[in-house]
This record gives sequence, C-alpha cells and structure tokens, in this order.
Amino acid sequence: MLERPVYLLRRALRNMLQSPFLCAASVATVAVALTLIGFFAIIVVNIQLMTRDWSREVQVIAYLDVVPAESSLKGLIEEIAGHDHVQGVTYVSRQEAYERFAERLSQDADLLAGLEADFLPASLEISLREEFRTAEGVSTLVAALKQKKALSDLRYGQEWLERFEAFVRLLKVAGAVLGGFLLFAALFIVANTIKLTLYARRDELEIMALVGATPLFIKLPFLLEGALQGAVGGILALGGTFFLFHLFLQEGMSAVLLATGTSHIAFLPGFYQLAIVAGGALLGFAGSLVSLRKFVRL
Amino acid sequence: MIQLYGVTKAYQKDSSALNDITLKIDKGEFVYITGPSGAGKSTLMRLLYGAERPSRGQILVDGQNITRLPSSRLPFLRRRMGIVFQDFKLLVRRSVFENVAFPLEVQGRQRFEISKKVYQILKLVGLEHKLQRLPLELSGGEQQRVAIARALVVDPSVLLADEPTGNLDPEVTLEIMELFKVANARGSTVLLATHSREMMHHFPRRTIALEAGRLVGDITP
Ligand SMILES: Nc1ncnc2c1ncn2[C@@H]1O[C@H](COP(=O)(O)OP(=O)(O)OP(=O)(O)O)[C@@H](O)[C@H]1O
Ligand SMILES: [Mg+2]
Repeated sequence: MLERPVYLLRRALRNMLQSPFLCAASVATVAVALTLIGFFAIIVVNIQLMTRDWSREVQVIAYLDVVPAESSLKGLIEEIAGHDHVQGVTYVSRQEAYERFAERLSQDADLLAGLEADFLPASLEISLREEFRTAEGVSTLVAALKQKKALSDLRYGQEWLERFEAFVRLLKVAGAVLGGFLLFAALFIVANTIKLTLYARRDELEIMALVGATPLFIKLPFLLEGALQGAVGGILALGGTFFLFHLFLQEGMSAVLLATGTSHIAFLPGFYQLAIVAGGALLGFAGSLVSLRKFVRL
Repeated sequence: MIQLYGVTKAYQKDSSALNDITLKIDKGEFVYITGPSGAGKSTLMRLLYGAERPSRGQILVDGQNITRLPSSRLPFLRRRMGIVFQDFKLLVRRSVFENVAFPLEVQGRQRFEISKKVYQILKLVGLEHKLQRLPLELSGGEQQRVAIARALVVDPSVLLADEPTGNLDPEVTLEIMELFKVANARGSTVLLATHSREMMHHFPRRTIALEAGRLVGDITP
C-alpha cells in the first residue's frame, strides 16, 4: 500500500473535500497558533540582533599616561593584537581624542576654548572577537594586559557586562519557556480540532478496521491530511505574522524600540519562514498522530 | 472451522456475558445463534472477529488460535471474514460500488480486479443497476444487501451476521435469508445471530441457544 502514494493523496484530499468545515477549522487553528508563535519569534529575533549590536560595544580601553615612542608603540600594538581574544587594536592619539570630544560637544564646543589639545590622554581601543565578548573573556584579556607596565590604566565595563549577560540569559530562558508553552498549546488545540474531525468520521474508521485495514493504512491518509492542513495553516500564519508585523512592529512599536538603539526592526529571516511552514506540517502531523491513538484501536 | 474451548467473557468483574462456552462449528456449516436479549450473542460474534478478547478459554478459527493473535495480525484475520450488522455500517458518503469495493481496496487489490469482482457480487445480490447510488438513497433491505455484498466480495471463509434482519420487514427478511443461503452454498461458514423465528422456521439449520451467557441448547434438525 505504501507504494501507492497517489492513492493515499487522493484519499486525503477527498476526505478534506468531504468535510470542508472541519478542514477549515484545523487549518485556522494551526494558522492562529503559528501566527502567535511567528510574532513572538520576530520579537526574539530582533532582541537577538539588538544584543549582538550592543555586544559590539564591548571593548577594553587602555589609557596611556605616557605616550611611548612610535616604534615601541607599534610593538605594543602588535603584541596586544597577537592575543587570541583580540580582534583589533586602534590607537587614539591625544589629538584624536580631543577632536572626538569636541565633536561630541558640538554646539558647546566653545567650552573647550583656551584648553590645550593634549589635556586628554592617548589610548588604545582593544576590541574583542565575537566569541570572547563576555565578562569572562574580558577579564582574561585584562589579566593578560595587566602584565605590561605601559598598560596600567584599563577600563572595561565589567559590571555592566555581567548585568548585560544576566539580562540576555533571562531573555533566553523566558523565550524558551514562552515559546515552548505556545508550541504546546498549539499542539493541544490542533490535536483537539483534529479529534473533532476524526470523531465525525468514526464510522469510517470503524468500518475500515472491520474489513481488515491495517492501522497504518487507516492512519496514513489522516496523517497526510493533518500535515497538508498544517502546511497550509503555516503559510497562512506567515501572512498573518507579516500583517501583525506591519501593524504593530513596523509602525506602532518602532518608535519605542528605535529609542533603545535598534536601527530597524527586521521581519523573520528566510530560515524562520521555512520553519513556520514546516512547523505547521509537523504540528498537523503530530496532532493527527496524537488523536488517532484514541480512535484507531483494533 | 471454528472451535471454542471453555470461553468466558466478563466485561465487568462480577458478571460474565459469556460463561464457559465450548463448541465446534465445521467448515461450510450454517449455524443460528439464538437467545433472548442480553444472552451474549453479540459478544460471541465480537470474540470471533477479534473486537474483544476472551477472559478465559481458547478460540480457534481455521486452526489458528486467535486468543493469542497479536493485534497487528488482527486485520489479516478479518480479511478472511465477512461481517454483517443490524445497522449495515455502510460508508454513507460513498456509492454502493465504492462500499463494496472497499475491502478489496484495503487489501491493495488491482483496480481492474476490483471492478470485475464488485460487479459480479452486486449482480449476485441483485443491485448491479444501483451501483452509483448512495446508501441513504436505498431502502433498508437494499442497504443490507449492499452490506452483504461487501462481506462476500472477499470470498470469506467465515461469514458472521449479527441480527442482520433486526431492522427489516418480515418479507425483506426472507429475501436477505436467501443471500445467506447463497453465501453458504459458495463455501462460507455462516454464523447468524438472530431472534427471528421466521428465519429459523423457513430455513431450519443447526441452532445454538444461549441464555445469560451459557450454552443451553445445540440442536441440529
Ligand atoms: N461493552 C460492554 N460493556 C459491558 N457490558 C457489556 C458490553 N457489551 C455487552 N455487555 C453485556 O453483556 C451481556 C451480553 O450482551 P450481548 O450484547 O452479547 O447480548 P445479545 O445476546 O447480543 O443481546 P441482544 O439480543 O439484545 O443484541 C449483556 O448483559 C450486556 O449488558
Ligand atoms: Mg446483540
């Protein structure tokens, strides 16, 4: 029987046509459930992007009280850059520091009038490789840098970083819990809707079993049907998510979110879009499987 | 051949629907199962097609012990049986033809073979001109004939019928009766649970009587 997929597909499609209302109900529940999950995923994805942006700010600044001679400065920079945590080292001269400061003051730049350009110290801005932008990575690097005499004055927002990491951890846990809950709720609702469709066809299931259909033969069209309905629900959910995204995130909420420093709010990346459709199919399949256990007993 | 040895079925702890039944039905026999309501006729049928398992005792169908049958083998037991019910149990959204074709479809038979066989059986029960109808467009007697055709289409070694005429008029009863005779003549062992004195009178055959789950009579005229 397995070598007759066309036959199975025909049976599945026929079943759906025979009870269009229940079919629509299954599709709709999957669509609603996945729209919520999709919307939630947009928020998670954007928080992830935002935290990645923020983590780019993680760096160690070494103030140089005495600016070394050019050749030894070069050696120092090369030495620091050789550390495996370090992505790059930028030398900021006194002059550059002054210019940056002036720029930041902009209109109030006249406050600087009469001050020498060298009142700010020169510094080395040491950025970390992405995988080491953690509290632990920073402290390892700082410990290594402290070995060098020239680098006595190090600044590195350790406390901020620890708090930031705790925040990200909390987000991850909350995301996993909420996402898991949503998924479970979706499965529960979808399984119950499919149970209704099976209930409407319990005579058919009984008759199949009575004429000697194997459980697999009975179940396959229903599983296929569940997967198809789920996939359609997933596609609709993608549309629904995009609609909500447009309605709330892109326009409504963007003002709030942009204030936190996010440059723009992204829609779900392609992989996630695919995952929603595939997730719908899986949800429909699993929902059918769960409900069928109650009905197909031989 | 059907053999029962000390078969007891208790749905609940303290009362048994069937109690220590031992009997033997030969291949090709025609047997009535009779008895008042609640005697255990349906229970006996359900045990034979594996919808229930006995609480005690052994059941053999064609030499195979079905009490030990794993449930994955159950479909294959049923493929050798035809089962007919009082309420027909037809697929109401499928045509007469599709209903009769269904067991063959389930068994994965070839399409041309199915068509040929179904037409042949529908002709046997006299419904070959109504094969595109839906069951609910037919009379009760006709619906039961469709159900019997569905049972016979697989050339069953055993035909089980649980009050097949319980919902039908007396004159239709005798028409249906004729079909069971034909089925028996084609080689099926027939077990027919019924209250109908009329049936047994017009076509006397071995009669097994149950009462409150016990075997109280086994008469061959
Ligand atoms: N699924 C069940 N659960 C519990 N008790 C049951 C079940 N099916 C039948 N019984 C009991 O078993 C006994 C025998 O029932 P059964 O249906 O076999 O009788 P029957 O001879 O077919 O009766 P009828 O002529 O009314 O169809 C009855 O007392 C009935 O109440
Ligand atoms: Mg009964």
